[in-house]
Amino acid sequence: MELTAKIKRYNPEKDDAPHWETYEVPAEPDDSALSLLLYVKWHLDGTLTFRKSCAHGICGSDAMKINGENKLACSELVQDLVSGDGDTIKFAPLPAAPVIKDLVIDQSRFFEKYRAVKPWLMTEGPAPEREREQSPEEFDIIEDATKCIMCGACTHACPSTWSDPDYLGPAAMLKAYRYTFDTRDDGAEERLPVLDSDKGLWKCYTIFNCNQACPKDIDITRWLSALKRRSVTAA
Amino acid sequence: MASQYGKSRRSNAGNWFLHRITGTFLVFLLITHFWVQHYDDTTRSVVEQVVTEKGERPEYSEAAQKAVRAKFGADAEVTSYDVLMLRLADPVYAVLWKGFNILFLIAALHHGFYGLNNILTDYIRNPLNRKIATSLSWTAALVLLVIGVYSVIVAGWGYAP
Repeated sequence: MELTAKIKRYNPEKDDAPHWETYEVPAEPDDSALSLLLYVKWHLDGTLTFRKSCAHGICGSDAMKINGENKLACSELVQDLVSGDGDTIKFAPLPAAPVIKDLVIDQSRFFEKYRAVKPWLMTEGPAPEREREQSPEEFDIIEDATKCIMCGACTHACPSTWSDPDYLGPAAMLKAYRYTFDTRDDGAEERLPVLDSDKGLWKCYTIFNCNQACPKDIDITRWLSALKRRSVTAA
Repeated sequence: MASQYGKSRRSNAGNWFLHRITGTFLVFLLITHFWVQHYDDTTRSVVEQVVTEKGERPEYSEAAQKAVRAKFGADAEVTSYDVLMLRLADPVYAVLWKGFNILFLIAALHHGFYGLNNILTDYIRNPLNRKIATSLSWTAALVLLVIGVYSVIVAGWGYAP
């Protein structure tokens, strides 16, 4: 089928503001949305800039706004985005982040938030001789949260992030959940106070945009609610 | 890296938790309020009490009575100012209803103003303006609380229709 790819372009060296450009692209129903972008870059306009790496929904590089929703371009099939020949798919960078060029956003703030929640195992006492063991039941508590690929679709889909770009956001706080609820972790006392602020947990109004955006179908809002309860108990 | 995400000075967990509690609470308080104030038998029994004790019915506005009866049938009673005042003047019911109304007031104010504060801090970015806005809103809540508690306490005291 023939489709129209409508792409939000922005080159800070030449453009005053982002603008839309359209490209006619041939596609099969089971092509990924990413393949449309690759077609544009390889055959129509080599200046188009976007991030991609594995193209299999693992690296989390190509999160962007597709037809108005934050998605992974590689994990979306054309047949799920259009109803037929001649339809249009719109591509824009993730919202609430500075755009470096075209579909590439500046992720430095995103990763600053990630580091702020101390996303590593904090333990007390001497290290065991072998690895720190965890039972399958203990892993079940955090299993869902470990699936996060840090693509940023959730954080940039959150209205609290839109209103305050410094809001920690679901991705970082999901990491906080993943470590705080890890039965081997002793870092709650250090980690929770970072979340217990007006940049953190209490600005989550359980709107569920993060759940909807997550390409890995993680039940993010649920885990953030568990963190809130833990914070209340700890306070 | 100097991070703005340090430990917060003051925990907000308590307010969030209270917001949940008051929210749940308000559902029941509202239902009770509506039932007692607008649909109740209590109102009728207070009216009957007045009628038996004093041998007279409290006065209703004729227009109000007519409107209510047109809508809810010929037996419907208007909850008049007199009935409310009598309920609050009654020594037995007064403690119950005054306590209920003060609780209702506190729950509603906390719930509403916590929500308002969230909205204010969502939209006001400048730290100074933020401080001013939140201080003003909590001051308003406090003023309303004082006025409300005062009104509930003095309402109906020594009232005779």
